Amino acid sequence: MSHGFKQDMPPAGGYESIKYKRNLPIRGPGGVVVFGAVAAVCAFGFWRVGKGNLEKRELKREQAWSRIHLVPAILAEQDRDAYRRQQAALAREREIMKDVEGWEVGKSPYNTARYTPSTIVVL
Amino acid sequence: MSTHRGAAFLDQPYVDPNPLPSSVPHVDELGATSAPLKSASFFIGQHCKDVNEDFMLCKAENRDPAHCLKEGRKVTRCAAEVYVVLLHLPDLPTLPPPLPTQSPADSSLSIGKIRESCLAEFDAHWQCLEKNNQYFQACRKPERALNQCVFTKLNLSKTIPGSPEGQPQVHEKKNPIFTRVQK
Repeated sequence: MSHGFKQDMPPAGGYESIKYKRNLPIRGPGGVVVFGAVAAVCAFGFWRVGKGNLEKRELKREQAWSRIHLVPAILAEQDRDAYRRQQAALAREREIMKDVEGWEVGKSPYNTARYTPSTIVVL
Repeated sequence: MSTHRGAAFLDQPYVDPNPLPSSVPHVDELGATSAPLKSASFFIGQHCKDVNEDFMLCKAENRDPAHCLKEGRKVTRCAAEVYVVLLHLPDLPTLPPPLPTQSPADSSLSIGKIRESCLAEFDAHWQCLEKNNQYFQACRKPERALNQCVFTKLNLSKTIPGSPEGQPQVHEKKNPIFTRVQK
């Protein structure tokens, strides 16, 4: 039987097998190592944040006490100035009101022994 | 808001030229800006503890400025004493007299000590504070020198009340976390 064709046939020895198997070589550190490293870095960071918070608290304490130690000196200076202005204001009042009968210079409008600073400033 | 005006005199300064009545003894004001005061604050607080507490108790009694003028003068003189010892300002005339009753070891604050005071360290520290937003943590190096000098010469040491026991105080830490922002 001859039709003039030649049947195509596999190469001698057959085709090579199909490479369907996964071929991914393992590179770099494993999952446990990566997650462990991330956890370690985070742990160090939080530890340092905690340390920093404690230190910040101490810095605030230092700042507060630095101010507390200076309060008396500054208050004393302010008091002298306030007293000076108060006395000057009383002297002005005395001079202005000298003709008014029964005027009490510096009499507080409040019925209390507590110190009530004047809310009026004459410029 | 009860008023539309701010509590500030914008049109003219609040100046009263009248002097303090002569019945009040004169005392020189400290005349220091904030950075030197802050630098000296813990030494002022330690050296002047008694007069300061006396003054604050007096203020607690009565807030009237006239009530605590005497205690206030003591406070200012005491602070100036520390200040003069640190700074030895020549133009402050109210130098503390030397304390004759105490032995030389503990008469730490007397005129004799002024000569060997800590001017250089003090200047270095407060100028550092001035340049660093007055953050103590930015100026630990000059502060350490100042504390050392004040401790050896004036026998005052910086202690922060309420610091946790058993660990170095924040100004004595070897490796603090908060320092200057720029290295």
